Amino acid sequence: MSKVLTEHEAKNLLAKYGIPVTKGQIAATADEALAIALQLGTPVAMKISSPDISHKSDVGGVVLNVGREDVRATYNEIISIIKKAVPNANIEGILVQQMAPPGHETIVGLKKDAQFGHALMFGLGGIFVEVYKDVSFRVVPIDKSDALDMIAEIKGYPILKGIRGRKPADIEAIARVLMSVSDLAEKENIIELDINPLIVSESGAVAVDARAMVE
Amino acid sequence: MLSSIFEPASIAVIGASNNETKWGGRILKNILSGFKGKVYPVNPNEKEVQGVVSYSSVADIPDDVEMAVIAIPSQLVLPVAEECGKKGVRGIVVVSAGFSETGSAGAELEQKLVSIVRKYGMRMIGPNTLGIVNEPVNLNATVIGRLPSPGTISFITQSGTLGLAIAEWTIDMGLGLCKVISTGNKADTDDVDLIEYLDNDPATGVIAMYAEGIKRGRKFLEAARRTKKPIIAIKTGRSKRGAKAVFSHTGSIAGSDEVYSAAFRQAGILRADTIDEVFDAALAFSCQPLPKGNNVAIISNGGGASIVATDECEKQGMNIADLSDETKEKIKRVIPGFGSASNPVDTAGTSSYTAYSESIKALLLDENVDALIAIYVHTLMSDAIPPAEAVVEIKRKCPKPVIACWMGGAGTEKGVDILKSGCLPNYSVPERAVKALAALIRHREFLVTVKTRGGSYE
Repeated sequence: MSKVLTEHEAKNLLAKYGIPVTKGQIAATADEALAIALQLGTPVAMKISSPDISHKSDVGGVVLNVGREDVRATYNEIISIIKKAVPNANIEGILVQQMAPPGHETIVGLKKDAQFGHALMFGLGGIFVEVYKDVSFRVVPIDKSDALDMIAEIKGYPILKGIRGRKPADIEAIARVLMSVSDLAEKENIIELDINPLIVSESGAVAVDARAMVE
Repeated sequence: MLSSIFEPASIAVIGASNNETKWGGRILKNILSGFKGKVYPVNPNEKEVQGVVSYSSVADIPDDVEMAVIAIPSQLVLPVAEECGKKGVRGIVVVSAGFSETGSAGAELEQKLVSIVRKYGMRMIGPNTLGIVNEPVNLNATVIGRLPSPGTISFITQSGTLGLAIAEWTIDMGLGLCKVISTGNKADTDDVDLIEYLDNDPATGVIAMYAEGIKRGRKFLEAARRTKKPIIAIKTGRSKRGAKAVFSHTGSIAGSDEVYSAAFRQAGILRADTIDEVFDAALAFSCQPLPKGNNVAIISNGGGASIVATDECEKQGMNIADLSDETKEKIKRVIPGFGSASNPVDTAGTSSYTAYSESIKALLLDENVDALIAIYVHTLMSDAIPPAEAVVEIKRKCPKPVIACWMGGAGTEKGVDILKSGCLPNYSVPERAVKALAALIRHREFLVTVKTRGGSYE
């Protein structure tokens, strides 16, 4: 039997393996949402949390850059949108989360493979993965040289190295995430996993959204 | 032990026939035509098959039998395998079809066959194999018409008929083969066992593979990574995409083919796109050393061919070497003034022994050059022999790899024969020559990267 993890659950799993994730908590009421937002520091990202909704933004379940004065209203707004859009969805609440730091959008993923165990994928996020499929693969487990190779292998690598005066992204931090995901693949029963995006800045990489299907 | 299958002292052919259009007839004929050990036909209805005393069962053979080829209907295979086990046969090659390839009933039969094989500690190739060839002991237990020329390339093929057709084709090309192994259903012996066996086989220098699917994926990667011998594989089914409606981005992009490519690279397996590429590379591996780096020199008597070669080198990530001034001076002395002494070297139509010999000597002595591609373009005014003699002569004294490309068909044959006799791999077009050299370079990179890396898939 397979089970889909919510973003919150998926991120807790990532955190267990030392992968930095944007902090957040699930609020069950508008007041709770505000309390969490104040604790995290505003602005925040607010996302619907439901085991029945995995493409949250497609149904209007994500609002970014919410200031402290708007948190409560946004809570109620998202809930009412979702109730209309997905009437039968079981709603756990709203995930109130730190906003992602600025940086490069990348994607890290896992897929269980019948022949070789798990395949690990890395690529630039957004249109790079959607349209160009500019990604690299390895079978897990990988070591650091594999991780660095798979980062350098994508066509968009120069973007990460810094073009037109932009500072280079933290390649080492991506490599650490890739190795941690490899470790996770070996120990957990993952069918599929996306960290999308993994935002990579000049120093550090953080998982901003994650989806997972486990056995 | 797989050696009992490839180097047996004696062979029983069960299902032996006088009719050479039958499997048991053709395989027996092929075994008898070369194999020096004892051969025992088994056929309950004949006293003699193809002039050799026949027995009604394996049990009736008075001497020890090390290997048995089984070519009888599938429903009769189990009791015969049992008899082989009792007789002390060490390995069986089950040509019979009608096992897991046919469905669940066949799969059950196959499982029972494997149990018998394991119970007696035998090894098995197949079922549903088209047999094996081991050239060093003149063993042809297949329906291939003749033994290949001796060589160091061992070929593992999952497809039976295509594999045999390819084997026949390589024989036509004069490619030296060591072993041809049709794996069939891989019920007992699979790719992992074969890679490990060939790794330890002193007669095998290069492993060529035609694979449709791999069993025991991680063990396979481990075995492939352990061997220092080059493995060149064509894995078919590339067009199969990952399922469309899947849960994650990763799932939608990671089709099985992408994963195969990644896995092969991690294990240091050279993945070829075409059958030609597999054997072009295998030929180069079988007779040339590995280059120390990826700096290539090109010489040609025609500019066009060397441009094609240069373009392909760049596409393959190879570097067109910068020649030293000394090298250029030496070349200038033997080519016409309007030729090019820079890389790619253009002898401007000249294909004299001296022009090729002195230029090639200079190029191979240049420490900026790791490998050489020698091209000759045939015209009615030129002779393919002197440049071929020059290449062979110089190559004999040099540890750097040299790849030849004698273009032009009719009129080049004698030159090509000279190249062959000098063990120089020759290709009909520059792209093929360059790709073969690229395989040598990539394998060398594998040896210093993935093949030395720690970590285990087990």
